[in-house]
Amino acid sequence: MQLIFNQIKPYSRYLLIILFTCLFLLIPGETSASFPGQQQDVIEVAIVGRVIDSQGVPVLDAEVTAITASQTEPLAETQSQEDGTWVLEFPEIPLMEFQIVIEHPHFHSQTINLQGTELSALIEDDIYQIDDVILERRISAGFWVATIVFVGVLLLIAFELLHSTTAALAGVSIIFLTSFIGGAIQPDLFIFTFERGLSFIDWEVIFLVMGMMIIIAIVEGTGIFQWLAFQAYRSSRGRTWLLVLILMLITAIASALLDNFTTMLLMTPISLQIGFALGINPLALIIPQVLASNVGGISTLVGTPTNIIIGAYAGISFTDFLVNQTVGVVLALLAMAVFVLLYYRKEFRKQSGGVSPILYQKLEENARIEHPQDLWKSAVVFTLVLIGFVLGERIHLPLAVTALAGATLLLIWLKPDVQHMIKAVDWTTLVFFMALFMIVGAIQEVGLISLAAEGMSRLIGENLVLGIFVIVFGVGTISTVIANIPLAAAMLPIVRFLTASIPGAQNQVLYYALSMGAAMGGNGTLIGGEANLVTAGITEQANTPITFKEFLKIGLPVTYLTLAIGFLWLVFHF
Amino acid sequence: MSNIILCPTRGGKESYPNQDRAIALAKERGAEVLFLYITDVKFLDLTAAPILVDIETEMDEMGEFMLAMAQERAEKASVKASTLVHRGHFREVLIDVLEERQIDTVVLGISAGGTGVVTAEYIRELASEISDKTGVEFVVVHQGEIMNTYKP
Repeated sequence: MQLIFNQIKPYSRYLLIILFTCLFLLIPGETSASFPGQQQDVIEVAIVGRVIDSQGVPVLDAEVTAITASQTEPLAETQSQEDGTWVLEFPEIPLMEFQIVIEHPHFHSQTINLQGTELSALIEDDIYQIDDVILERRISAGFWVATIVFVGVLLLIAFELLHSTTAALAGVSIIFLTSFIGGAIQPDLFIFTFERGLSFIDWEVIFLVMGMMIIIAIVEGTGIFQWLAFQAYRSSRGRTWLLVLILMLITAIASALLDNFTTMLLMTPISLQIGFALGINPLALIIPQVLASNVGGISTLVGTPTNIIIGAYAGISFTDFLVNQTVGVVLALLAMAVFVLLYYRKEFRKQSGGVSPILYQKLEENARIEHPQDLWKSAVVFTLVLIGFVLGERIHLPLAVTALAGATLLLIWLKPDVQHMIKAVDWTTLVFFMALFMIVGAIQEVGLISLAAEGMSRLIGENLVLGIFVIVFGVGTISTVIANIPLAAAMLPIVRFLTASIPGAQNQVLYYALSMGAAMGGNGTLIGGEANLVTAGITEQANTPITFKEFLKIGLPVTYLTLAIGFLWLVFHF
Repeated sequence: MSNIILCPTRGGKESYPNQDRAIALAKERGAEVLFLYITDVKFLDLTAAPILVDIETEMDEMGEFMLAMAQERAEKASVKASTLVHRGHFREVLIDVLEERQIDTVVLGISAGGTGVVTAEYIRELASEISDKTGVEFVVVHQGEIMNTYKP
């Protein structure tokens, strides 16, 4: 080796020494030394914390940055997670005082100075946890945009200026355009990112509604409810008071198990025919059915769209709804039935002149079950779905999965035209739900919901009975004129806050109050519910229009009567 | 011409006087009455709720029942009557039926109490326009009384 080394020319010898020295220094090893300020993959220390808002709700996507006064580059940076927690990882122990800055577009920024004892603790333990940081809400320009969009969408839907889905899509478009284009020009206009917007969509609701649509289309399409209506007509033998009670019962049950809108869509034409056949005002049969359909749906999770949203959000099961709502709903229906009999007493006293054999035959034909085989198969599958809803809870089987499985089984067993059935899934409604979730997400993100929750919390204090009262009657009253689906969706975060803050509300009674208020309020006016409007549309086609005033005269007293019973039931039951 | 009087109707108590006028006119002229019900589910366009069932068939059946009632009224008055249910927009369906059935006269009713989906003015304008276009006589009636007659 010495011989070889001596044979190398002197300048080459120096070159080799320099080369080996460089290699020695560059190859990392356990004994190698680090240069100050050099980046390493090994995390030496970390600071952890949590960001919450003034209501204790975790703040997601808050920017957390560690900076020093002397350096422009941050020492470390991260974002808060779903539960508000964040972890700042430092490649080396910071030896000087530094600040942690927490920023979010819709909150005032917070700065935490770390010095002395905190730094010593960090050096000792390698990990240091700081106390929860409470961020105060900030009213940004984005706040006003989201608020105006939400109110605008509600008004467009209420006054039927645009189709609900178009209105909701327009709202979402404005929100995203404001966030991306407006936010680039003026950061204060930022509302949320695209990913954040999508995160507000409750996919369980979307898939449950989709599955139920197929089930409803097949089950209600068998004609069972029209047949039942005709049997009610036949068995009541001209006693119209008895007929209306049976029709109300059929409608309430159908609404609870399937959907009140489709039920009224099918029950109204046959009820009009029965009314004309009996020689009475058909509205005396139809309006009570609409009222019963809006209330009947409350007793199950799938009975109303608002219940589906509430159930998915609050984790309330099918059985919970059934157990906690049914008695209240039955009591409300009984009170409603008494009121209806009194209200239409003159109409029900009229003696039926009887119906000609031709008209009777026509009525019977129109109420005939076309495919009895389909009916019993549908009944079997639907019963299985209901059992699945109840038993599935034990293994945490989402209702959406049960509904989709039931829908698939029906498609396989009944072999309907799949193209037709897929068309039966009303995609505009599903898009409406998605857009609505994002709009409500936007007002939640900018802090409108928090402000409303704080306001309600100040009003209610810690009084649970007052809380139930305010939600049942407040939501009920607003629902008489405002579409109850967006209202219920917007109310959910508020109810969650109140549930957490009011002693005794942890049994979720306020969610049931929301369910009752939103559905019962739909009876207040003709524009209070989709079922009311579609019923009026059909009766109009038979030259028997339901006027706003006519509906109001019976609908408003029934609304407050049922709200009062619902409120008393909730107070008594919980 | 086929000596048929066309009476578009939505049925219901409010329509009875107008139907009776069409029946009386047919009796006077020795004509037949053709009652027409037009199924139009345009009102569903603004609803947010899903339309999962075949509502048009249900409405057709309701229309058939309404027309069967009108037919009974005509037959009680010893006037021959037939019925027809069509789907679509009122104006277009009316023109189609006039061409298909070679109608002589149309008795067009204005809804009582302003409860109709269209105004009296619209009915009059429609009657005048279609009468000019098709050469068919239009009799506009309100609560059984003849309000206007449009002859080509």
